[in-house]
Amino acid sequence: MGPEQNIKRHDTDILILGTGGAGLFAALHAQQSAPPDTKITIAVKGLLGKCGCTRMVQGGYNVALGPGDTVERHFMDTIEGGKWLPNQQMAWRLCEEAVVRVQELENEIGCFFDRNPDGTLHHKAFAGQTADRTVHKGDLTGIEIINRLMEQVLSRPIERLQEHRAIGLIPTRDGAALAGVLMIDMRTGSFRFVRAKTVLMATGGGPSMYKYHTPSGDKTMDGLAMALRAGLPLRDMEMVQFHPTGLLAGDHSRMTGTVLEEGLRGAGGQLISHARQRFMFDHDDRGERATRDVVSRGIYAEMRKNNNPEQEGVFISMAHLGPENVRRKFKGMVQRCADSGFDLAAGLVEVVPTAHYFMGGVVVDVDTHTALEGLYVAGEDAGGAHGSNRLGGNGVANSTVYGGVCGDTMGADIRKMGTLRDPDEDKLAAEVERACHPLSRKATVVQPLRQKLQEAMWEDVGVLRTRTGMERGLKRIAEISGELMDLGVSPENLAFNLTWHDWLNMRSLCDVSEVIAKAALERENSRGAHFREDFPEAGELDASYFTVAQQSAGVVKMERHAVDFSIVRPGETILPEGEPETLVIST
Amino acid sequence: MTKPDPLHLDVTIRRSDHDGSRDAHFQVPARDNQTILDVVSWIQQYADPTLSYRFACRVGMCGSCAMMVNGEPRWACRTHVKKVLNGSKVHIAPLRNLPVIKDLVVDMDPFFDKWGQAEGRHHPTQTRDDPVPRIDPEGAQRAEANAGIECINCSVCYAACDTVAGNPEYLGPAALQRAWTVFNDGKNADRQAILDAVSGSSGCHNCHSMGSCTHYCPNDLNPMQAITGLKRETVKAFIRGKSNA
Repeated sequence: MGPEQNIKRHDTDILILGTGGAGLFAALHAQQSAPPDTKITIAVKGLLGKCGCTRMVQGGYNVALGPGDTVERHFMDTIEGGKWLPNQQMAWRLCEEAVVRVQELENEIGCFFDRNPDGTLHHKAFAGQTADRTVHKGDLTGIEIINRLMEQVLSRPIERLQEHRAIGLIPTRDGAALAGVLMIDMRTGSFRFVRAKTVLMATGGGPSMYKYHTPSGDKTMDGLAMALRAGLPLRDMEMVQFHPTGLLAGDHSRMTGTVLEEGLRGAGGQLISHARQRFMFDHDDRGERATRDVVSRGIYAEMRKNNNPEQEGVFISMAHLGPENVRRKFKGMVQRCADSGFDLAAGLVEVVPTAHYFMGGVVVDVDTHTALEGLYVAGEDAGGAHGSNRLGGNGVANSTVYGGVCGDTMGADIRKMGTLRDPDEDKLAAEVERACHPLSRKATVVQPLRQKLQEAMWEDVGVLRTRTGMERGLKRIAEISGELMDLGVSPENLAFNLTWHDWLNMRSLCDVSEVIAKAALERENSRGAHFREDFPEAGELDASYFTVAQQSAGVVKMERHAVDFSIVRPGETILPEGEPETLVIST
Repeated sequence: MTKPDPLHLDVTIRRSDHDGSRDAHFQVPARDNQTILDVVSWIQQYADPTLSYRFACRVGMCGSCAMMVNGEPRWACRTHVKKVLNGSKVHIAPLRNLPVIKDLVVDMDPFFDKWGQAEGRHHPTQTRDDPVPRIDPEGAQRAEANAGIECINCSVCYAACDTVAGNPEYLGPAALQRAWTVFNDGKNADRQAILDAVSGSSGCHNCHSMGSCTHYCPNDLNPMQAITGLKRETVKAFIRGKSNA
């Protein structure tokens, strides 16, 4: 008997997908705000608190608590950093509520962030910001935040569905609301349909369809692929943030693409071309210390000049700062490189720009509501807060702020909701069939096709974009997408069958890749993370638009929507007159 | 250890499913910059699509991928094959002291249940409406709390511990180290509750100070020292007549 004949049915009141900063905060806040007998369930593709990317945050958490800093200043930096594309109401709430969320993390959750010698919070400088604003725990901030949140969630009566991957948002028969979520219990390989009155989708973006990418291995855009199939509008889908220095260890190694930290360049690390020459000053007066997007483009341009197949990337060199000094100052990074065979302190380590964060996502309001009743989205799956570029330190602020907001919102909304909704059984059956598609085809390997997609996205929809390239990219995505449907997985043993999940991962990645390419074609200017060689200018700021993609009857349609400058217009500021442009003392 | 690099690795994997356990052998192409995670990934991607293992972050931050490599607990993602190769051979098995779900995947719930039993979480004294407290980062108590704070709960110490192997009720090094960290956190509400949680029959006094936890911790933490601290404080509390252990 195939798995499709047997769907386990499961009911809860509040369902949360994902256990990063958004999911865990939502669980805690929902428990505080919902009526006492409310059942809360948290489902996750890996282990609770262990998969996903909040845990991997190195830099820290932006919050306007430093000397002289204000929410207004944090907001202005977020808007300028996003090149005037952010949803201003969302950006405002992000900056405003980060303050209370950091206090909650310290006082209620039990995090301990680094202190100054006088015992006050330490705020470090981060690129693109006009105040020292980033609170942190060494360079392992995410581990501290997630470990402490995880302990709190584990100690409460919150149901856990670990290693349950969500594969379909199932609406009611009339399509007016969400009924529940179809999942695969990965440990057994069986299907489980969970009904819930409210569902938070916080599966955390993760642009892992690029040849080089930083997100954890579980992340494959499943959330946005589900939202696309459910017909929800997605915004800013062209906005993929690349981190300039991903480790290059060969296409056989999972280490490839993982981040070598920002601080290496800040401390004086040099980027060296295949011809053994520095090149970043050809691109920007700040050299290696320019912002992430500028350095990524500089490296990518340099890589294109090189015809030596033996060397794909460029090198980062630290040795001139004194190997002992580098070993001491960047202990973790030096050790990590050594574990995969590289000498960061004294040698050259090959690096490439690596897809890091996805600014695009589901259109939501400031309370995390979506266009579909019963569905809420927060964290990297939601679009709007960052616009065209995310400031370092605003990612974990975004997921924790909006996770908490969503928990509060669901806890309040559920009081007004009646009984659980019944699903459209045809849609449910169709989603099961979609997931079982490869199980009736001849089994073969999936990984080469994943590499093919990653090559296509890297080459044609990557750091530097053109119409010709992206049209070619769309063709390649379509071919790969078609090939995937002919590719089979043996149904013999579906318990913890990673190859079946590789196939499903590819399905999500192909679907979202198409949208990225279409959104990138739609934006005929260059803003933040999105750079068009055929439209290199930013365009009129006053006429800024954001892109919205929506799928209907299998076809993705693009629209442009005018940015609503509801708080501040381009060229203006909300800082009081006479405020200095920056509080950062330049070095 | 100066033998030429082999072209292939001879990999033996302990596989388990509902039908039982057996060793399976694979020849894996040897590469530069190859970790144990890369080895098991290659097998699943190209040789046997049904091989199960678990990983997430790829860089030693999430603690999802630990397994026994030649009988020793290690993170798969940060173990270079050159470090563990025996000629061209390596043996990989699921992490010790935890129930196996399938192949190299273990159920980590018992480990986290004990984390909770040891009161390994913050007990608040302040709320989100209060400012972040001033704390001397160099204070003696804070330094004690900081010592174990970077634990990523990977279970390597738990797998290495012979006391856990002999007494499945024993809370184990990671949970006890977390309890010690919380105990020393000046922001935490109830120190006695922690001592009560770790002084029972499954608690810190089971530890024989064999030190495998500290020896194997991939983050160079020292759970044995934390357990020693808990032993000392629970005895002191007992003498003061406050403990109900």
